[in-house]
Amino acid sequence: MTSSEASVPAGAAKVAGTQPTRLFIRQTSGLVRELGIPAATGISLASVAVVNTFINFNAGLTDFTKSDMYLPLIAAAVIWLVAMFAYRYLLRAVPRAGGEYVYLSRIVSPAAGSVAGLGIAVVFTYVLSTNAHFAAQFTPFMLSGLGSAFHSSALANAGNHLTSNIAIAWLSVAVMLIVAALSLFSLKIVARIIFWLIVLQVVAFVVLIGMLAFGSHTDFTSALATYSNHPGAFQDIINAAKSNGVVFGTSIASAVAIIPFMVLNYNGVLYSYYVGGELRRPGRTYLYASAISIGVLVVLWIGVWALLRARVGLTFMQAQANLSVANPTAYGKITSLNSVAGGLGYGMILSGDPITKILFATAVPLAEIAVNLAFLAVTTRVLFAQAFDRLLPVGVAKIGDRNHAPNVAITIVLIIGIGFCFLTSLVNLGSIVALQSLFFALILLAGGISATVLPLRRADLIQTPGMPEDARRRWLRQVTLVGGATTALALFTVYELAAHSSVYGKFSLESILTLVIVLGSGPVIYLIARQVRRQRNSLDLTMAMRELPPE
Amino acid sequence: MWGKAKGSKKRGLRIYFATDLHGSEVCFRKFLAAAKVYEANVIILGGDFAGKAIVPVLTENGWLRAHVGGEEVTVPESEWERLAADLGKAGLYPVRMEAAELAALERDSAALDRLFRSEINAQMQRWCDLAAERLDPSVRCIITPGNDDPVDADPVIVAHPRVECPELELCDLGPVTMASLGVVPTTPWNTERECSEDELGKQIDEMLEQVPSGQPCLLNLHCPPYASGLDEAPELDDTLKPVIRGGRPSIIPVGSHAVRDAIKRYQPVVSLHGHIHESRGAQKIGRTLCVNPGSDYSSGVLRGAVIDLAQDGSCLDFLLTTG
Repeated sequence: MTSSEASVPAGAAKVAGTQPTRLFIRQTSGLVRELGIPAATGISLASVAVVNTFINFNAGLTDFTKSDMYLPLIAAAVIWLVAMFAYRYLLRAVPRAGGEYVYLSRIVSPAAGSVAGLGIAVVFTYVLSTNAHFAAQFTPFMLSGLGSAFHSSALANAGNHLTSNIAIAWLSVAVMLIVAALSLFSLKIVARIIFWLIVLQVVAFVVLIGMLAFGSHTDFTSALATYSNHPGAFQDIINAAKSNGVVFGTSIASAVAIIPFMVLNYNGVLYSYYVGGELRRPGRTYLYASAISIGVLVVLWIGVWALLRARVGLTFMQAQANLSVANPTAYGKITSLNSVAGGLGYGMILSGDPITKILFATAVPLAEIAVNLAFLAVTTRVLFAQAFDRLLPVGVAKIGDRNHAPNVAITIVLIIGIGFCFLTSLVNLGSIVALQSLFFALILLAGGISATVLPLRRADLIQTPGMPEDARRRWLRQVTLVGGATTALALFTVYELAAHSSVYGKFSLESILTLVIVLGSGPVIYLIARQVRRQRNSLDLTMAMRELPPE
Repeated sequence: MWGKAKGSKKRGLRIYFATDLHGSEVCFRKFLAAAKVYEANVIILGGDFAGKAIVPVLTENGWLRAHVGGEEVTVPESEWERLAADLGKAGLYPVRMEAAELAALERDSAALDRLFRSEINAQMQRWCDLAAERLDPSVRCIITPGNDDPVDADPVIVAHPRVECPELELCDLGPVTMASLGVVPTTPWNTERECSEDELGKQIDEMLEQVPSGQPCLLNLHCPPYASGLDEAPELDDTLKPVIRGGRPSIIPVGSHAVRDAIKRYQPVVSLHGHIHESRGAQKIGRTLCVNPGSDYSSGVLRGAVIDLAQDGSCLDFLLTTG
C-alpha cells in the first residue's frame, strides 16, 4: 500500500515483543500491492526474448576469433546481478512505475531526466526497428523451413530472393507495420497475442533443447549432409574456414570482448521494477523475482551452449559463422543452411517432422513481433511522459476516441522506426548488435548513476521510520557501494563497446549516424522546447520538477 | 507546437491542483508551499485526503514498538516525535496505545472505524489550521472530498474560515465557475461516496445546469472520464489481485462514462480529476483539457498541475509538476 510497507533494511532495530503489532487498513479504493514473487518472476522472464540468444551467439562467433560463451554468459549475469541490487534501492526510493528517466529526474536533476527520457524514447524506437530487422534477417530461413515443412520448393526458394539490403529493409518495414496494426487492438487482445507468441518461442526453445540432448554428434553431421545434399559437409565447412584464415580455439581476451553481447542477452530480466507499484513488499519481491530469473536464464543458456558444443562442436560453429561472412560463395557451395540461424538452424536440420520445422522456422520472427508489441507500448508511454512534461506536443499523448489506443504516438514511433529500418539495413548485423548493446549499457549506466547519488541527493526517499542513526548511515553507504559497482560495470561494458575500436571495428558511418541521432536528440529537443516556451511566455519548463519545500 | 499561443491574452488566474494525498503530511505541506513556488492564485486539493492506515505504536517499558514495512521496529520512547513524523510522511496514522487497547481494537471493528474517523478529522483540522498559518491571504485554498474520504470530514473543512469546500456546489473563481463532485461510480471497495453511473450523471447535470449561460466552466470531478488515458489502472480479479496477461499486468480503463458524457456535452474549459494514481496525464476531449496529475503520496512526492487561465476564462497553458 505505501512505501513504508516495503521491506525494512538491515540495521533497523527489531525485537520480539510479547504481542505482535500490526497495521490497521481502512476499506479504501486503490491498488493493493498484490503481485507476488511468481508473478514478478513471470514478468521478468517474459521480458526476455530467449531465442534472441542465437542472434547474439552468432554475432559473438562472427565478430571475434576464438569465441566461447561460457565466461561471457556468467560475467554478464554477474553484471545484471549487481545491477539488480541497485535497482532494488531505486525501486524502494521511487516505488511507483519508474524507469531510468524517472530515477534520473527525481534523483539527479529534472533536466538530466528529461534529456535521458527523450534519448530512451529514441533508443526504444531504434530497438523496435532492429528487432524488425532481426525478423527480416530470419525471413529467408523461415521460408526455407516452411518450404521444407510443406514440401514446397517454391516457398523454400522464395527466401533466396529476399537477402538484399533493400529487401531486408522492406521486410523490416512490413514487420513494423504488422506490429503497429496489432497495437491498435485493445490492450487485452494485444496481451493475449504477446502471451501466445511467447509460448510458441518457449516451446521451440524447449524442443530444441530436447533434440540436442537426445541426439548425438553423428546425428548432426549426418543430418547436415542430408540437408545440404553434400556428403562430408561438416568437415568441408571446417576445412574451407581454415583455408580462409579462420582461427579456432578459445581465448580470455575474446571472451571479455563478447561480454557486452551477452549483457544484451539478459536485457529485460530486471523489468519487474517497471511494475514496482503493484509488487507486494516491492524491494523483497523484486529481489527474489530478479535473482530467480537471472538464475533460470544462466542455467538455460549455459545448458544450451554446452549442448551445442557437445552435439555440433565449437570448431564447426566458429567455422560456419566466420566462413559465411568471409567467403559466402564458398560457404554457399557446401550448404544452404542459414548461418545466422545458429542453434535454430541446427534444430531445423535435425528435425524430422513438419511441426517442429515450423516451430524453429517461425521462432525468431514471432519472438521479435512479441518483443516489439511490448516495446511499442513502453515506447509510447515514454513519449507520453515527455508530452506531459511539455517537451513534446501534448497531442502526442492523444488517445483515440474509437479504439482508445494511442494512435498519434504509435504513428510517430512507426515513422521514426521505418526510418531506422532503412538506416539499419545498410549496417551489418554485428554493428546492430553492438549498437543495441551500447544503448542498453548506457541505460544501465543511468540506473547505476541514479543509485550511486541516491544517498547523497535524496536520502529522504529511502529512510525508514524508526531506523537508528548509525544503521541509517551504514545503509546509505551500502546503497552508494552497490550503485557505484553498477556504474563501474556499466562503464566497463560501454568501454568494451566504444573504446576498443580494434575489436569493435564494425562501427560504420551509418551506425555512427544512428548513435548521434539517438544520443543527440534528447538535448536538442529539450533546448528547443525550452526556447519555444520562453518565447511564447508560456509556463517555465523547469517548474515541472522543482522540488517543493515541505516546511 | 508545445502549447497553444494565445496571442495577447493576459493571465487572469493561475490554479495549482493536486489530489489523492491520502494523509501524507509531507505532501500537504508541499501543497501549501506550492502556492508560493508556482505563484498560484488558487490551490485546489481534489479529494482523497484521508489516510488509509493506522499504525498502532505499543508502549512497553520505555520503548515504542510498531509494525513498519512488514516487520516490527522498536525505538526508545524519546524517539516518538521522529517515528510519528516519519510514519506521517507516508500517510500513516501513528497511534500510541497499550497492549490491552490494541487487543480490544482488533476485536471491535466499530471502535476501529471510530478511531479512523477521529484521526482523519483531527488531521484535517490540523491541515486547515496550517493553511491559515502559512498561506498568503490573497491565495484561495479549496479542499473537496473524494470517494475515500469519510462524509463526516466535510463539516470540519466547511467550518474552517480559511478553507473552502464547495462540494456539489458551484464556486466562482473569477474567470471561470467551478463545479466540484467527489462521488465516483461503484468500485470493488465499496467506499463511502459511490453511486451508479446514472446517478452520477444526474448529480453532474444538476450542478452544471445552474452555470449561467456563456460563463466558462471548470470541472473538479474526482473520477476521470472513461477511456481517456487518465483512467488506466490494473485489471483486478475477484480477489482484487492484478490480472497478468502476456507477462504484464493487464491495464484497463476504469473511469466514468457519466463524466465523459458530461465533458462532451458541456465542454468545460478544463476538467480536473484524480482517483487513479498511476494514470497521470492530460488529454483533450473536444475542446476540454482534462488533467489527472496522478499521485505518489507514499513517497512523499507531490504531483500536481499548474493551469493558467486567461481573463476571459480560456485555458492559456498547463504544466504537470512533480515536487
